Amino acid sequence: MIVLENATKFYKTKHGKKYILKNVTMTIPSETNIGILGRNGAGKSTLLRMLGGIDFPNSGKIYSDKSFSWPMGLSGGFQGSMTGRQNVKFVCRIFNRSEEEIKKVIEFVKDFSELGDYFDMPIKLYSSGMKSRLSFGMSLAFDFDYLLIDETLSVGDKKFKKKSKEALMKKIEHSNVLMVSHSMNDLKNICDAGIVVNDGEITYYENINEAIDEYNKLNKE
Amino acid sequence: MAMIIVFSVIKELLGRKIANDIDYPVFLATSFIAYNMFKAIALKSMDAFNANKGLFVYKQVKPIDTIISRSLIEVLISGVITLIFLFIGWFMGFNIECKNILGVLLGYIWIALFGISLGIFFAVIGFFYENFKNIIKIMFLPLFFLSGLFYTLDSLPKIARDILIYNPVINFMEMIHGNYFYSLDTDYVNYTYMLFWTLIPMFFGLWLYKNSEKKIIMS
Repeated sequence: MIVLENATKFYKTKHGKKYILKNVTMTIPSETNIGILGRNGAGKSTLLRMLGGIDFPNSGKIYSDKSFSWPMGLSGGFQGSMTGRQNVKFVCRIFNRSEEEIKKVIEFVKDFSELGDYFDMPIKLYSSGMKSRLSFGMSLAFDFDYLLIDETLSVGDKKFKKKSKEALMKKIEHSNVLMVSHSMNDLKNICDAGIVVNDGEITYYENINEAIDEYNKLNKE
Repeated sequence: MAMIIVFSVIKELLGRKIANDIDYPVFLATSFIAYNMFKAIALKSMDAFNANKGLFVYKQVKPIDTIISRSLIEVLISGVITLIFLFIGWFMGFNIECKNILGVLLGYIWIALFGISLGIFFAVIGFFYENFKNIIKIMFLPLFFLSGLFYTLDSLPKIARDILIYNPVINFMEMIHGNYFYSLDTDYVNYTYMLFWTLIPMFFGLWLYKNSEKKIIMS
């Protein structure tokens, strides 16, 4: 269960405040996989970041009794001068894993991400596809109630896409996802419910297809 | 290292001595290590937030952690350098005997804390005002000559001494030198003044940090 209480979030721009959430009060039920839809710049990623605890509403509260992964996005999450291996180690340590578990996680991430030699090279040499491979592989090694996915599935080559989708399907047997995506197929396959973000309002749909219909309407306007 | 050699040679050519039992390279090394550590902590903290932005996606990582870890690294590096210098000094037959090792250690730890408190203060302001960083960097240039790294306060004319005593860093250097060498003392050191310089930026820095922590994570 995720609760939003009078949550307001805006960005100040030259043309006044740009609202992402405008006094929103709602409860999102748990045990569902939720897709977040909205047009570019509507605030999907910000919503995800707020749920992940690294962004904060300007007023009001957002809280939940579940645990969230870090938002897996196309950027960030790594210290550029450290190698992939060191970054994985670092993340394991902040999640309080023992040395033995760390070794296992590293082996797993190395196998999964198929980075080869790049695994021992500094992250700043990585392409964005490689970064999201690493980030995605790492998130599979931890258990959260919710995985926050920010369009990471849409990168990578065909083979990796297929592999990561399979891994994700396996993962969501015992945890849930909150994902931002522009790929309707992915959303239909993975998510049960949907949220549409538009103009400071967010609407919850129990069926993902309704959300997609609503989103398509928005796009036609 | 190069600095110490250059200054030692200059001093040798000038042919004056601080005191008979002091080897000038040792005198330089004690203050240079402390000063470089202080400078590195205070200045490198300023870039800590920006350089580690990527790590803020993990909610366990708070911006201040980056400053603490950078400072710890600098302290460790300085410790290693000290050991190397002590070894070189011993190997070359300098008089590396220390009068009050606890006093010297306190001086080193204290100046590191002073650097951290300035670092937090600078980092928070510098995060919001990019130019502030440049001003601080420029301000550190004259500090090298004004901080008693290669002279003692006692050796200066009275007028210079009365002005320079207001520089907190020179107090630290006097403290370290006075505790290290038998023929020097810490008479000019004003401990309360140093404490103020440590605590006030620490307090303001942490207060500013607490108020802007979320903004720093969000950006």
